[in-house]
Amino acid sequence: MTSLSSTPPDLTRRNLSWRRSLANRTSTLLIGLCVVLAAFPLFLVMWQVISRGGSSMSLDFLTEEIPRNYRTAGPGMGPAIVGTLFITGMAALIAIPIGVLGAVYLNEYGKNKPLARFIRTMADVMTGVPSIMMGLFIYVSYVIVIGEQIGFAGSLALACLMLPIVIRSTEEMLRLVPDELRQASAGLGARKWRTIMTVVLPSASSGITSGALLAIARAAGETAPIIVTVGLTYIYKPDLFYGQNTNLAAQIFRNASQPFAASQERAWGAALTLMGLVFLFTIISRIIASRFAIDKR
Amino acid sequence: MNIKLNRRAIFGTLTASTLALSLAACGGGGDESGDGASGEINASGASFPEAYYAAAIEGFAEVNPELNVTYNATGSSTGKSEFGEGLNDFAGSDSLVGDDDGVEAGSFQYLPTVAAPITVAYNLPNVEGIQIDQETLAGIFQGDITAWNDPAIAATNEGLELPETPITIARRSDGSGTTSNFTTFLDEATDTWTLGAGDEVSWPEGSIGGEKNTGVAQVLQQTEGAIGYIDLADAAEIGLVTASIENADGAFVAPTLEGATAALAGAEIAEDLSYNPLNATGADAYPITAPTYILIRTEYEDENVAAGVKEFVNYLLTDGQALAEGANFAPLPEELQTQALDALNATIAD
Repeated sequence: MTSLSSTPPDLTRRNLSWRRSLANRTSTLLIGLCVVLAAFPLFLVMWQVISRGGSSMSLDFLTEEIPRNYRTAGPGMGPAIVGTLFITGMAALIAIPIGVLGAVYLNEYGKNKPLARFIRTMADVMTGVPSIMMGLFIYVSYVIVIGEQIGFAGSLALACLMLPIVIRSTEEMLRLVPDELRQASAGLGARKWRTIMTVVLPSASSGITSGALLAIARAAGETAPIIVTVGLTYIYKPDLFYGQNTNLAAQIFRNASQPFAASQERAWGAALTLMGLVFLFTIISRIIASRFAIDKR
Repeated sequence: MNIKLNRRAIFGTLTASTLALSLAACGGGGDESGDGASGEINASGASFPEAYYAAAIEGFAEVNPELNVTYNATGSSTGKSEFGEGLNDFAGSDSLVGDDDGVEAGSFQYLPTVAAPITVAYNLPNVEGIQIDQETLAGIFQGDITAWNDPAIAATNEGLELPETPITIARRSDGSGTTSNFTTFLDEATDTWTLGAGDEVSWPEGSIGGEKNTGVAQVLQQTEGAIGYIDLADAAEIGLVTASIENADGAFVAPTLEGATAALAGAEIAEDLSYNPLNATGADAYPITAPTYILIRTEYEDENVAAGVKEFVNYLLTDGQALAEGANFAPLPEELQTQALDALNATIAD
């Protein structure tokens, strides 16, 4: 600073013309207003779910079996919680490895080849397909063929739903990995597969995780494909290949669409549980992502 | 060393899903013990008798907790088509199997379980005890009569002050045995009904559809001036106001279990155990009394499933009948009950 001969220009707000100052203030105000507007429904939903669902929340609610009669008051969503965890977990197990590897192909090998472009377009189209389509697809091609509604069918439907989201988000993350890293790795004599395994994927791991998590959160809240493919149960069904199953979203739908106070209360409770579960998963994934991010090591 | 670390990193991205895998590994099937059948019975179908089946399933769980029965009230049409595809172990239906229901003739046996009035419920504040004759009922539900103070309605309701409120028809949006029974009644009883009869008919424009009986109930609750048809159990549970309907003898009868029982007494039972209590004669008979059936398979692939279905259906037809009235359903007359039990024993041998 001292070496400069001229005095530095006055950059404070006081020096602005009244017109620019006015424009500045209005814009800031508008932006602030938009943030409040965007957050408003979010808080309203959370407040509603917590205040309505909170009254039915208890340890019993989380562990008891679901009442066999909608009209009966009382707790119980345990089987639906287990169903949500297992069905969504299995879907993630199917969709995430396939999706991540698919994205690796698209970004590292396929690039702009016709096949890669075709897959990319199809994945984009698939993200917009309503979830009930996936449910009906699995219903026709799996449930009717094996002649049984089982939890695994729901996992398949959710996996179909998650796959395009995982592929596209992972590909975006891989694209962000600078080419210099790949070239450096190649310069050190690493083969392409090793470069991908040891340089590209770890660098993108945090972004891939959050993309996968978005997909899981979306799948956990899916109702329509679950209702068509997994049926209904009142008891614990940890085995996805034996008997009909259920999940929280399906229970919310079923109980909320009944005109009975008892079942509507259970629906609010289930909604709160589902929100809590997704919240928990988000936190866990954030921890995992930050732990494995390459720049933190 | 470096490789090892990085491999961990990749697996790290998958940890969320691996967690679920380790949980899934500890799953197991059902235990097999006790005297009765064990395992699982999945059923789906009519929502009309759901209140009774739900009560019966609750009751049955105390008798034999080893056998888990699930009744998914999907509507009669879905129940029948799932039966045809082999997705359920038995189906509930209020209507008989038609040609396009996807159920093969000879692959099933009807078993009547209970009967109940289909009430005509409405939402008009401070107006109770409306009486509707059969022709007027047809006029209302096909959209010819559009306001509550229509002379046709007023004619049978002297002394009631009917508002100008427009009539909104609340009806089922899904394929339904309740719809089938209700429209069959209108079709058989009146000359003016033009919409035909079946699980689904084309309702007039402006009518509001609800899913299942409970969905119709919600429409009725929320719409002033609405009129709809719904099972007695749900109408009573929710406290809907119901109309008295003119029966074959010209008397106005409120939907009650006594009215349903009186209607059952006059019904003729066909060889396949189907029967038609609609518009039955008798001064006390409620005219829109609907039967409900379950469809069991004539052949089950799995012996355990067959034994389970038999045990539960046997409970429905015997001890379970005691729960019917509490749930607002009329139990079967003794003669029909015996016939149904005989048919059950003949269809599923021990």
